[in-house]
Formats: sequence, structure tokens, C-alpha cells
Amino acid sequence: MLILESLWSTWIVPAAFGGVAWGILGGALPGISPSITMALLLPLTYGMDPTVAIVMLASTYVGAEYGGSIPAILIRTPGTNAAAATVVDGYAMKQQGRAGEALGISLYSGFVGGLFGLAMLVLLAEPLSNVALAFTPQAYFALGVLGLSVIASLSRESLIKGLIAGVLGLMISTIGTDPVTGTSRFTFDSPDLLSGIPPILVMVGLFAIGEMLAQTGEPSLQDVPERPRIRFPGPAMWRRIALPQLIGSVIGTMEGVMPGGGGAVSSFLAYNEARRWSRHKEEFGKGSPEGIAAPEAANNTVACTALVPMLSLGIPSSNSAAVLLGGFLLHGLLPGPMLFVQNPDVVDGLFLGLFVANIAMVIVGYLIMGPCIWLVSRPKPYLMAFIYALVVSGVFAIEASEFHVAVALAFGVLGYVMRSAGVPLLPMVLGVVLGFLVESNYRRALVLSGGDHMIFIQDRLAAVLLSLALIFIVGSLYRHAIETRPKPRA
Amino acid sequence: MNRDLALGGATLAIAIAYYLLSAQIPESQLADAVGPQGLPRVYAYILGALSLALIGSAIRGSGLGARDSKEPSNPESRVPSPGLKILRPLGVVAIGVIYIVVVPWLGYIVSLAGLIAATTYYQGGGFSRRVVIVALSGALLFWGLFVAILGIQHPAGIWPSLF
Repeated sequence: MLILESLWSTWIVPAAFGGVAWGILGGALPGISPSITMALLLPLTYGMDPTVAIVMLASTYVGAEYGGSIPAILIRTPGTNAAAATVVDGYAMKQQGRAGEALGISLYSGFVGGLFGLAMLVLLAEPLSNVALAFTPQAYFALGVLGLSVIASLSRESLIKGLIAGVLGLMISTIGTDPVTGTSRFTFDSPDLLSGIPPILVMVGLFAIGEMLAQTGEPSLQDVPERPRIRFPGPAMWRRIALPQLIGSVIGTMEGVMPGGGGAVSSFLAYNEARRWSRHKEEFGKGSPEGIAAPEAANNTVACTALVPMLSLGIPSSNSAAVLLGGFLLHGLLPGPMLFVQNPDVVDGLFLGLFVANIAMVIVGYLIMGPCIWLVSRPKPYLMAFIYALVVSGVFAIEASEFHVAVALAFGVLGYVMRSAGVPLLPMVLGVVLGFLVESNYRRALVLSGGDHMIFIQDRLAAVLLSLALIFIVGSLYRHAIETRPKPRA
Repeated sequence: MNRDLALGGATLAIAIAYYLLSAQIPESQLADAVGPQGLPRVYAYILGALSLALIGSAIRGSGLGARDSKEPSNPESRVPSPGLKILRPLGVVAIGVIYIVVVPWLGYIVSLAGLIAATTYYQGGGFSRRVVIVALSGALLFWGLFVAILGIQHPAGIWPSLF
């Protein structure tokens, strides 16, 4: 009763709904990251009650993580880094006239993942925060390698081409300022390249612009009949996507509490594991509901569990958590162990607000889906033009730079060439996303050990993660060898 | 096979160029055991080796690249139709390039309206009063979303100086 009373006696419910709606809008716009969406809202919360302000910011994060999947499914443009893994099967379902079903699975899985993450946050904040403290540079390096090990299984069409794409992605991640010495690398004296190439540029270019270029030379794909309504999964689908949701939620929990892990890594790992454990492996990449459920559950779990180290230790595990930390400080609150003692009302209010935010995500998501599906069902020339306008506007918004628009265009051409040559795109995205994490932590670990590589074996967490990566790689190579073995003639 | 051979050749050239560029990265007084050139060189070696493997596989027409000769089942691997259809996408890129060039002068709204109208026309939507209205409405919609609501400044162009 006390909980319900505090819900209705404050502005928590409207704040959660408003935050989620704002977050979905920001997340759905390519180039506007969840952290930017939250940062834009931060000044507006200044005059609010601290609990209401924190709830609004956290709800924005929840909404943004979900919002990124909407353009990923409908127009092959991930709104956030974490939505990149949803592109593959989400857009394939859209092409089959099943956009409403894909969006329903995404929304439902996001809801399940969000509640799972909230439960973990409420019940396990303290023990989980110890995981964050156990992460050393060598463990981060191992985590990055574990993420990269997914490349082998994402390259089912051609292992060599997938690996080539992955290495190219790693190469792209080296552009900019060196993470240890500060030396400029591959910048050609251009100040625009000093901060590197943001992964979202690569994704928008490869997926959205690449798709536009491919469709320009092809007959219209928009003739597929489409019901402009969201379709939530029924009992049979619940059963089918329960395991991928569980996989995504567990991976999202672990990734969320690790500073630097983030939604993108968890989405890819969840996608890979969902395929490994699926009874319908052959459907992955061609419109598998499980291929949407796992990454969506993972990145929405991360939206809650990323708050674990921030609340209990004062360590922001992502850019979005850092903005939320800014919100706490703005209102005179100091996250850390004492927060639970000194401001229990804020903590309880935040937990309540996150619960409301997950419900709000379903309601707001349901309301906006119909218009979204209707929009992408417009005649192809208009749809292409508006996607192009959205992409150039969103990409410019990252750093107010026309150079970024040119880079995204260049990656669009690269994406088109890669498709034409049968090279998978996801391994390149993974390389770009994880390249910095891998290199910076590999070198920091070696600085700590004085150049001794045994540090990666001596650190137990790193050793376990590297062993897992090795198992994944060997398993994928073995499966690939079996699948490509010439079959004996009957 | 020819496609894989060309791809292997292109990525081998990238590996060599990348290696040469990484060799030009200046040494730093703060350099660690690996240095800023360390991992780039490793990536160049790996890409070179993979490129040679792809070339070898394409020449043999078997081995790890054998599946490449089959019809790709992945929707990402759609092969464009031959002939002029392959060149048509370049027009879309050209529209984007023109947008980048003119937006500092014409400003966001006018340039974006031009981009929408040109893309609609290029994609077969024709050129009519309707296209113009849709383009202008679309540009205003995006301006409202990005500039008015989100507060992200896009180039205003020459217009403010005229008034």
C-alpha cells in the first residue's frame, strides 16, 4: 500500500511515461545515442524533485534502449549500437511482411529483459557490484576477445570473408588518437579523425545507406503486403522465445554490471548464444523470432543492471550511466554505498520508477508502432527519400559535422560493395565496436605486467573468459568444417 | 570465383597499404611494450594472410571458400543485377555528396528539401507539385524534430545574414 501511495502521491508515474516517450524518440533517431537523449533532458530536470528527476532520466535510458530497435527492424538502421544485432532478423521479418510481429517480439522481449534486469538490480545490487570491482584491464581485454569470438559463428556464408570483415572493423577502430600514448594514427592530419570513427557511423552507413543503394538497383521490396499493426506473441511464441529471452537476460545482467561492457556486446553475445541453443538454427539471419528476442532482452536488461555499479559504487558503467550520475550530482545526491543509507527514498523511488518505466515502454511502444509501420509502408521513392533525410540529419547530430555525413556515405558504398561480394556486415560492426576495448586494455594490462603476457592467464577472470572464447572459436570452426564438408554421393 | 579473387586482391592491397601507413606512425616517448604501431601491424598481417587464403580458395574453387560459389542465402549477400543497375546506386551517393556541399550555404531546411525531392525523383517518384510539397513538409518536420525539439543546431546557411 505504501508503495502504491508513493507512486500516486508523487510525479513518478508521469515522469516515467514522459522519460520513456522521450527515450524512444531519441533512441529511434540514428545518431542520437541514449546518453545524448538523457543529456538533452538533464537541464530540464533541474527544478524537479530529486526522485522524480532521477526516475525521468532512468526511464529515458529504458526507452532509448528499446527505441533503437524500431528503425533497426523497419528501415535496417540501428538507432543505437545495441540494436545492431536486431537488424539481421528484424529486417528480414519486415521484408517478409512480418514487421508487426517483429516489433511485438522486440517490445515483449524488451519488457521481459527490463523486468529481469530490475529484479537483479533490486535483489543483487551489492553482490553484483563486486563483479565490477573484479574487472581488471586484462579481464576487459578477455571480455573483448570473447565478444570477437562471435565473428566465427556470424560468418556462416564464408568463414574467411567474415574474418576479413572483422579484421577490417578492428583496423577502422585504430583510426584516431592512440589510447595509451596519445599519438595520432591514420588521421592524415585531419582533425575530424582525431577522435576516431564512431561505431554508429559505420552501422548507419553499412546497414541503412548500404540498403538504400542495394534497393536502388533492385525492384521494389515494398510490395510485400503489410498489416499496419503491432502483433504481440501468442503462447506458442512465448514458449519459443522463452529460452532466448533467458539467455539474453542473463548475459545482459553480467554485461550490464561490467563497466565498459554495454548493450552492444551483450546483444551480439546473446544473439550468438540464442542461435547455438536454438532448435531452428537455420532460420537465423532469415527472420528468426529468437534472433530478435535474445538481443532485445539483453540490451533492455543492461538498461537496468548498468545502474548496479553506479548506485552501489558510484562507478558509471556506460555513457548513459555517466549522465545519470550527473543527474544524481546535480540534485546533491552522491551515489555509492551510503546512498542506500542516507537517501533510501530516492533509491526506492528509482526502483518503482523503473518498474513503471517498463510498463510505460509497452504502452507507449504499442501506441506508436501502428503509425511507424504505416510510415514505412509508404511508396518506395518517398520512403527512401525520408530515410535518407533521417540518416543525414541524425549522423550530423553526433558532432555537428558534415564530415561525419561524408564518412557515413563512404561506409554506405563499402556496405554495398561488401554485400555484392557476399561479405557479412556484422563481423565488421563487431570489430569496430570492440576494437578500442580490446587494444586499450591489452596494452594497459601489459604496462601493468611489464610486458609479460602471463598476466592474462594469472588473472582468473581473464583466464575463464579467454577459455570461453577459445571454446566458442573451436566450436564454430568445427561446425563450419562439418557444414562445408563435401557430402558423399548417394 | 572471379568475385572472390577480386575481393582477395583488394583486401590484400588494403593490408599492404595499412601496414605501410602503420610503419609511418611516429614513435612516442610514452610508448609501451606494444606501441601504437603494434596491433595495427598484427591486423595487417592477419588481413594479408586471410586475403591470400581467399585468393587461394578462389583459385582452387574448394576449401573454406567453397560455399561462396553457391547462391547466397543470407539477405545481406544480395548480388545486384548486372549492367547499368550497378551504376544506379552511385546517383544516390551523388545526391548525398551534393547535400554535403550545399548545406553550409543553403542551410538545413532548403538543402534537406532538395535532398528529399531529388531522392524521390531518382527513385522513380517523378517530379510534381506533390513531391515539392512533401519535400518541404519533410524538411520542416525534420527541422522541428532535430532543431526545435532536440535543440541540435544544423547549418542555417546564408539566410540569417539576409534579414
